[in-house]
Amino acid sequence: MSETTAAPATADQHSSSGASITLTDVTKRYPGQRNPAVDAFNAEIAAGEIVMLVGPSGCGKTTTLKMINRLIEPTGGSIVIGGEDVTRINADQLRRRIGYVIQAGGLFPHMTVAANIGLVPGMLRWDKKRISARVDELLELVSLDAGQYRNRYPRELSGGQQQRVGVARALAADPPVLLMDEPFGAVDPITRQRLQDELLRIHEEVPKTIVFVTHDFDEAVKLGNRIAILKEGAHIAQFDSPDTILANPADEFVEDFVGHGSTLKQLTLTRVDEVELEPATTVTIGEDARDAAARAKTDGNTEVLVLDERRRPVRWEEVKDLERDGGSVPRGQGQVDVIGRRATLNDALDTMLTSSQGCAVVTGRGDEFLGLVSVESVMHAIQSARDTAREQNLGITGRTTMQADA
Amino acid sequence: MDFWQFMAQNQSKLTFLSWQHVWMVAQCVFVATIIAVFVAIVVYKSPAGASIANALSAIGLTIPSFALLGLLIAPLGLGVGPSVVAIGFYATLPIVRNAIVGLAGVDRNLIESAKGMGMGRLRTLVRVELPVAWPVILAGIRVATQLVMGIAAIAAFVGGPGLGGLIFEGLSQLGGVNAVNKALSGTILVVLLALVLDLVLMFVGRLTIPRGIRV
Amino acid sequence: MSTTVTAPPVDPDAIAAEVAQSRAGKWARLAIQQGLVVAVVVGWAVWRNGADFKAESVEGRSLAWGQILQLTGQHILLSVVTTVIVLVLAIPLGIVLTRRHTRRLAPLVVGVANIGQAAPAIGLIVLSALLFNIGFWPAVGAVSLYGLLPSLRNTIVGLEQVDQRLVEAGRGMGMSAPAVLFRVELPLAVPVIVAGARLALVLVVGTMALAGFVGAGGLGLLITTGIKLSRISVLISGALLVAALALIIDWIGRVVEEFARPKGI
Repeated sequence: MSETTAAPATADQHSSSGASITLTDVTKRYPGQRNPAVDAFNAEIAAGEIVMLVGPSGCGKTTTLKMINRLIEPTGGSIVIGGEDVTRINADQLRRRIGYVIQAGGLFPHMTVAANIGLVPGMLRWDKKRISARVDELLELVSLDAGQYRNRYPRELSGGQQQRVGVARALAADPPVLLMDEPFGAVDPITRQRLQDELLRIHEEVPKTIVFVTHDFDEAVKLGNRIAILKEGAHIAQFDSPDTILANPADEFVEDFVGHGSTLKQLTLTRVDEVELEPATTVTIGEDARDAAARAKTDGNTEVLVLDERRRPVRWEEVKDLERDGGSVPRGQGQVDVIGRRATLNDALDTMLTSSQGCAVVTGRGDEFLGLVSVESVMHAIQSARDTAREQNLGITGRTTMQADA
Repeated sequence: MDFWQFMAQNQSKLTFLSWQHVWMVAQCVFVATIIAVFVAIVVYKSPAGASIANALSAIGLTIPSFALLGLLIAPLGLGVGPSVVAIGFYATLPIVRNAIVGLAGVDRNLIESAKGMGMGRLRTLVRVELPVAWPVILAGIRVATQLVMGIAAIAAFVGGPGLGGLIFEGLSQLGGVNAVNKALSGTILVVLLALVLDLVLMFVGRLTIPRGIRV
Repeated sequence: MSTTVTAPPVDPDAIAAEVAQSRAGKWARLAIQQGLVVAVVVGWAVWRNGADFKAESVEGRSLAWGQILQLTGQHILLSVVTTVIVLVLAIPLGIVLTRRHTRRLAPLVVGVANIGQAAPAIGLIVLSALLFNIGFWPAVGAVSLYGLLPSLRNTIVGLEQVDQRLVEAGRGMGMSAPAVLFRVELPLAVPVIVAGARLALVLVVGTMALAGFVGAGGLGLLITTGIKLSRISVLISGALLVAALALIIDWIGRVVEEFARPKGI
């Protein structure tokens, strides 16, 4: 299911991709405290990379993040973004070039969605038309209907929608770098999973450099190209790709933090788009019900997925009901829990367990239907993950082998 | 003479005094708002400063208005001067307090967001903090307006303009034909105009408070 | 002069911060206030002692120690009688208006009270004098009416602030309605009611400065005399003493509140 082109469908003339970030001996020392909050932090982050900062609370991960846009001024070290040392330039100017997303979006309650998103472009003196076009484009990017949402106020949105607007606002002036401070901490698990999928999809379209703070290791594994696990004072315990960390935790601290059941964690390493999606019998609202029922029978399915005119899943309909009702398929009521292409098999499994169809519906940009993941394909993936884990562990220690077998 | 007759016969005088009364109060409250918001901006970040401002505001409200008017005559003489200063003083106090509460109550996440997107101190204040605090400040303005409508009536004794003059005329004609009518019309008009001003301020609220933060 | 701040839509954290801050600032505030009062009263007394007025002059008569004491006594008597009347009416009425069957009337009364707040005290006092006569009781009557509405509102708000879950808990453990009122609601509402009584008293003391206009005496008489006869020293003395009296009463009220607060609140 890989798209042939990675070209972003943005209307803006050019969409800047990420910039590299180099942190050298970055230190934060508060007066009157013996130990620095962040002690000589070093990291090299490539352009377009997603780096996750995880660690127990108080480890300095948020402080480290906020020093990148200088919401907290470092007391030592240097920060270079895209080749430019930013430790001495005007902090306000710097922040207009760095997207920043916090929990619940930090949306301004007295401004509409459009005004919130248009703030930074406004400060950068874009003209009104360009701002308005940009707002619509960004709402589209975060899968919100521009016509419906641009004039709403934040409190008229759900938590997940607010968070999407928060991401759109951060992307407004097309900054090369996005900083995210536990952005999905305050939403329910299902919404969080959708927002994560969404973020991965957006990152494919506009490959910004993202530095993301979380305390949720599963989130880090799902979203990160690399994960930095931090101890107190923002000392790096391990900074590597998720699979390496899972397979080879550097020390006991990391092992504890990663937690046990690492085979299951492998499930979070496999993406939905890495397994083969299965087709479903679909019918678009307004099409003939009995036709659809006949197609379903040919496909050997007992249920048909109803899509709206933009191919967004609306609900499941049983074949026998379609045959009984006939006529054109109505919009009707119902809801389908969907996952994104970059969702993990873990997410897929969660979704399946809560749906009665025994499969998860996968959608792409604008929630367009792509295909299904079935229990069989997940089982298959688990099996191969187990095999890989066994092979790897045999080569490392006996102890983890026992675990994989257990 | 019957009260309604009195009202009808003195319509133009009553209208003029009403206008004087309301206009003086409106101007004073306007200036008071500017002063109060400025004071609140200066002190709201420091707990000590906010405490002192709140304490002074409460003490100020405890001082009887008639006493303050008396004190102001010494430097300012009789007339509009002491009236305007006293009315402005009493109008400032509740607004200062509400403005401090409003500004201190702005969610810190919003301020961090504003900073995070590159807004400077002044821009954060003007575009985020003051608009978010505005409903609370406006509530203070409404309290202040109600308060000073009555004080303005007392100010007539020191030569201030407005409806208080009618009340004192009534008093000086104790036993005269129109004494009660004058005092009654002055009192009722002050209450009615206070109500009208309150409605106007409510309407100002509808116009200036975005739907996103309306209660 | 009610000092109510309309409940603002601020988040609970901010309110908590404000409470903590006001606790720290409370005693400092009392100290500032008391310092101010002592400075004014002592300063005035020293000035008065040193001033040499002819016994027959306006100053001599108005500012004689005996006269000052008499006016102060009158002022306090007027204020105390009025405040007692206000509270005797406002508290039971407030309780009645927060009972289950009459609760629906409370918003109406609070609304009327808010409008009545704008009634000019001077208008009520003058009208009372014109309609009934000059003197003590018309002044007391007019100011009682003026003070009743804010006090009634304070009582209602105080009782309504009592956490309804506590009331339910009381009912749930088998307390009768009067038992809940006297053992749960009123004790919990005491701080607000005491504060309301203080506000009423301060409001009344301040308003009674106008009693001099209608022949009821009080320290306000010094101000009116001073203005009418252009005697600045008399005028200023009156203004300072009225202000000092109001601040002293307020100060006493606040100290009493600090000590009368039920433990645990």
